[in-house]
Amino acid sequence: MLELQNLTIKNFYEGLKNKKFKALEIVQAFLKSIKKENEKINAYLFLNEENAIKQAENIDLKIAQGKEINFLNGAPLAIKDNILIKDLPCTASSKILENYIASYDATVIQKLKEKNAIFLGKTNLDEFAMGSSTENSAFGPTKNPYDLERVPGGSSGGSAAAVAANMAIAALGSDTGGSIRQPASLCGLVGLKPTYGAVSRFGLIAMASSLDQIGPITKTVEDAAIIFEAISGKDDFDATSSEINLNFKKDILNPNIENIKNLTIGLPKEYFIGGLDKETENGLNLALENLKNLGLKFKEISLPHTKYALSCYYIIMPAEVSSNLARFDGIRYSRAYNEKSLLEMYLKNKSLFGEETKRRIILGTFVLSSGYYDAYYKKAQQVRALILEDFKKAFEEVDVIFAPTSPTIAFKIGEKTSDPLSMYLSDVFTIPANLAGIPAISIPVKNYYKNKNELPVGFQLMTKHFQEKNILELGQVYEKLINN
Amino acid sequence: MEIKKETIKHLAELSRIKLTEKEEEHLLKDLAKIINHFNELEEINTSKVLPINGGTNNLNIFREDNPENPYQGQGKESFPENKEGFLNIPSVF
Repeated sequence: MLELQNLTIKNFYEGLKNKKFKALEIVQAFLKSIKKENEKINAYLFLNEENAIKQAENIDLKIAQGKEINFLNGAPLAIKDNILIKDLPCTASSKILENYIASYDATVIQKLKEKNAIFLGKTNLDEFAMGSSTENSAFGPTKNPYDLERVPGGSSGGSAAAVAANMAIAALGSDTGGSIRQPASLCGLVGLKPTYGAVSRFGLIAMASSLDQIGPITKTVEDAAIIFEAISGKDDFDATSSEINLNFKKDILNPNIENIKNLTIGLPKEYFIGGLDKETENGLNLALENLKNLGLKFKEISLPHTKYALSCYYIIMPAEVSSNLARFDGIRYSRAYNEKSLLEMYLKNKSLFGEETKRRIILGTFVLSSGYYDAYYKKAQQVRALILEDFKKAFEEVDVIFAPTSPTIAFKIGEKTSDPLSMYLSDVFTIPANLAGIPAISIPVKNYYKNKNELPVGFQLMTKHFQEKNILELGQVYEKLINN
Repeated sequence: MEIKKETIKHLAELSRIKLTEKEEEHLLKDLAKIINHFNELEEINTSKVLPINGGTNNLNIFREDNPENPYQGQGKESFPENKEGFLNIPSVF
């Protein structure tokens, strides 16, 4: 049997098909690993053990009967706990949803169920996906499997830690300002934020609706492509979702090295003006060197409004948060306190929100309030247009943009909690892709091994709207290069 | 701009969030710092820029209002208090 740490969706599929092992064996091995590791790491909030075992038995039966299987049949996945799975709890790591049971499946879950993927459980996050370290969870922080004193990143920290600690083969996260890519980078994994609209948001607990996207956290770019292919596409229940060309979907699973050589890579000077820690800088240089060995063309470009992206984001996102979270009022979903008057009920139930959530609701209410709307919210929407324009101009000259994912490697638990602004800076390189709606991926610079006293570094590739193909193909060629 | 304690109180009231004295003080300090950071946006001339409000250019997306929507009625199963299929709340008046 394969070691869990070497297991990818791709080789799991091949192993099943060639009857090297059974789905049930692998699922049980993951459950055993969860029982051993989760106590230390706190990646999972709930397990879906019974269902997972039943599903695995069904897959094994199907294979024994000689039926065809696809890539995701039986693949044991971890799902971020802000994505709804019918009849399972969905807390968004908030006390306010502690007793909520989802009454329907998110579209991404529906699609994965059609492929017979297995859900091992729901993973920890910063409350309502607000944070960069998973320390804002009402159910305790998640630890980085590479160093238990450090954060796994966030907000999809539980999903990233679950995959990095061999508690799932791959995971789903959500990314509003970097919440897939930054934890992937800090945990030595691949994280893809698709184009805004490529994946349906139906059944994702909304944080900032104009920025949120669901995407995969995986060990390889190839696995990220497999999950992206499975979950993307237009959905009647999400009016912002779009159809994706089917040929293009097939291409991402069969990268063509000759196509890759024709790509021009842009190096935006605004992303390399300092502020990176030494490990990250060294890692990025190594990644660049590797990419140059592929014979790609490089070009320096400018994205002049980059420095304003953080301010722009911290106006637009809380504005949307303040309106999206108004629904958690104790009336619907979950009720912790029953009071005599409506106002008392609102106040009492909303007191269950955590500190960061309250901060963002108040900040969002401020930027939208009369007298400040033009100065802050409207101004930020205009700056957002300029940031999008920067990318459009850059993509006239280059196909892919190379950038850091996170300015630092995984930081210590508690290091940034007292200063929200320093925590917000963790997302400085990932936010622009969300504001512009373009796809972006974080890829580990090299293979990282636990207990080697070294922490992972990722690099980021961004490309044009709906051209995930560029970064998924290039990423697959890159990982083949470093694996050989 | 300078943000005052009264502003925080007002915003909390609008958001239906009850803050403790200590939370108010923390928020005042944090918000002052964050909003001060926003002032850098004044450097950019946006007088001719049209604001955008989303990541998509999709316009007027319609679908059939299908009565066979598979999700119809399912939300009420998750009501915290269910009375004959209706959501139970305290009296409003």
